[in-house]
Amino acid sequence: MNKLNSKNNNAINRRNFLKVGVAGAAIGAISIPAKGREKLVEKVNKNVGPNLIKVHDEFPYEINSTFKRHSSMDLLFSGALFGTHPEDTDILNSGHRFIENNQKHDNSKKGWDQLGAAINAGGWALHHAVSANACFSQAGQGILKWEQLSEAEGKQGSHSSKDWVSDEKYKFRDKQEASNAIKRAARLFGADLIGITKRDKRWDYTDFFDGNLMLQGKRDEAVYGWEKFPFEPKSVIVLAFEEDYECIAAAPTHLGGAAVGEGYTRMTKVAYQLSVMLKQLGYMAVPASNDVGMSVPYAIAAGLGEGSRMGTLVTYKYGPRVRLAKVYTNLDFVEYDKPIEFGVMDFCKNCKRCADACPGKAISFDTEPTFEPPYDNAWYNSTGIKKYYMDARKCIKVWGDFGSDCGSCVAACPYNKPDFWHHRLVDKITKLMPGPVHDFMREMDIAFGYGDVDNPEKVDKFFDASNRSYDGQ
Amino acid sequence: MVFTGIEILFFTLGVMVTLIIISLIRYNKKYKFSALSWALLGIGSFLLVFCLAWSVSSVLEGVPRAASMGLMVFGIPAILLVLTGRRTVLKNQLKND
Ligand code: SF4
Ligand code: SF4
Repeated sequence: MNKLNSKNNNAINRRNFLKVGVAGAAIGAISIPAKGREKLVEKVNKNVGPNLIKVHDEFPYEINSTFKRHSSMDLLFSGALFGTHPEDTDILNSGHRFIENNQKHDNSKKGWDQLGAAINAGGWALHHAVSANACFSQAGQGILKWEQLSEAEGKQGSHSSKDWVSDEKYKFRDKQEASNAIKRAARLFGADLIGITKRDKRWDYTDFFDGNLMLQGKRDEAVYGWEKFPFEPKSVIVLAFEEDYECIAAAPTHLGGAAVGEGYTRMTKVAYQLSVMLKQLGYMAVPASNDVGMSVPYAIAAGLGEGSRMGTLVTYKYGPRVRLAKVYTNLDFVEYDKPIEFGVMDFCKNCKRCADACPGKAISFDTEPTFEPPYDNAWYNSTGIKKYYMDARKCIKVWGDFGSDCGSCVAACPYNKPDFWHHRLVDKITKLMPGPVHDFMREMDIAFGYGDVDNPEKVDKFFDASNRSYDGQ
Repeated sequence: MVFTGIEILFFTLGVMVTLIIISLIRYNKKYKFSALSWALLGIGSFLLVFCLAWSVSSVLEGVPRAASMGLMVFGIPAILLVLTGRRTVLKNQLKND
C-alpha cells in the first residue's frame, strides 16, 4: 500500500468515527435502516458541526492601525545569518553559534549523537542541495526560482522538466474544478493539506535581499523589491506537510531537526512540481518556501488551521506538527478556501504547555493575545495583529546552544498527537466545553502521559523496531 | 501483519456492541428493566466499550500511561455503573416476586 493510501485509511478510521460521532455509533449499533441513519447523522452534524468548526469569511484575527507589512530584512534568520541588523550582536552571535554547533554531535547524549546528526543531515540533504537558503527565507533559491520561460524559450533549451509556461491556456469548466484539480495534483506530489487563497499583499514581504551580497557588505546592491517578481500574483496555494510524530516527540534532539529538514525537503519538491504543473496549464507560478511572504497568515487564510500561542499554525489533523510551502500564481479562476476556527486560540488561553516546555522561555504566558509584543527591540515581529507574540531572540539563542532546531513547543502541544481517533474526539469535546474545562483538559493531557519533552525514552521509541515492518508485510 | 491493530480493535468492538445489545434485550425480556436500570446498564456498557477502545488505541500508539489512565478513568466508573445497574435489576425482581 502506498503512503497516500495508508494515510487515507487511517483518516477514514478516525474521521469517520468522529464525523458520525458518538450518536452515529450508537445509531449504527441499534441498526436503524441505512437511509434513516444517514438522515439522523446529517442532522446531528448540521446542528453540532458549526459549533465544532466555524468558518470565517474574512481573516479571523483583528488587525489594528499599527500594522505594517514586513520586510524580509526584518526576519530573525536574516538578522542572525546574513547580518541585516548588524547592530543586534545578540542575534548575530546566536546565528553563528547555530551554524557552528550544527556541525557537531555528542555521542554521550541520546539523539544528539552521530546517528542522530546523520539522520538530521539526511533529512535536510535534498532541501539544501536544490533550494539552499530557502529555509532562511531567501527568495528564488535553486528550483524555487522566479524564472518564467516562455514555451519557445523552454523548447529551445534542454528543459526536459518542462519548466516553462505553455502558450495554450487550459480552461477549467468552473472554479471548483480548477481547485479540485490543483489540490488533487498537490496531494499526488506529496502535500498533506492544501488550501487556496487570494493573494493578500499584507502577508507578502515588502522587499527581498541577496544573502551573498549582504554578507559581502554590499547592502544597497543586495536589496530588491517586487519589480523583479515576474508577474502580478492573484492566488496563493498553501501546502502543509506533516512532520514525523516520533521524531518531533524526541525534541529537542537531532531527530527533531531531521523531521523538520525532511519537511523542508518535501516543501521544496512539491511546491516546485506544482509550479511546473501550473506553468504547463499556461499560468505563471513561483514556488516558495519561507520566502516571498509569511506562510502562517496565508495558511490561516487558506483554511488550513489556526494561529496559536507558540506562533505556528495549528492544523486540525496534525496540530502544529507541519511545515508550510506556497505557490504564487496568476491563475485566479479558482475556488478559494475560507479560514476556519476549531478552538485552538481559545484553548491556548489556559493551556500554556508550549510556554512551560520552552527551554528559552521565549513563548508568552499572557492569557490574552495582544497587538504588540510584550518585549522591546522586537524588529523581527510583525506587529498590529492580535495574537500571541513569541520572542524569537530567546528562541534562536536556544537553537544556537543546541546547533539544531529545538521544537520542544511543538512536541508539548496537546494538539500534537498521532493520527488516532480518540485524540480528535478529545479535541472536539474540548471545543464544545467552556474555558474553565480547558484547564482540566490540559491537566488530563499531562496525566495521560502526553507531551513531555527532553525525554531520552522518546529517542528509543523512534528506533524501536518492534511492531514495525519494513518489508510491507 | 494481515490486519492492523486498529482494524482488529474496531472489529472486536463491533462484536462486543452486538453481544451487549443482544444481552440487554434478552435480560430485559426476562427481568423487565426499570428506566433507572436501563440508564445505568446503558451508560455503563457504553463506557466499558469506550474504555476498551481508548486503552487499546493508546497501547497501539505506544503510550501505555494513557492506556492505564483510560482503564482507571473510564473502566472503573463503567464497572461500577454496570454493577449498580445489575443490583437495581435484581432488587426490582425481588420486589416483583
Ligand atoms: S523552538 Fe524551542 S526555544 Fe523556540 S520557542 Fe519552541 S520551545 Fe522555545
Ligand atoms: S501548547 Fe497549548 S498554548 Fe501552546 S500552542 Fe498548543 S494549545 Fe496553544
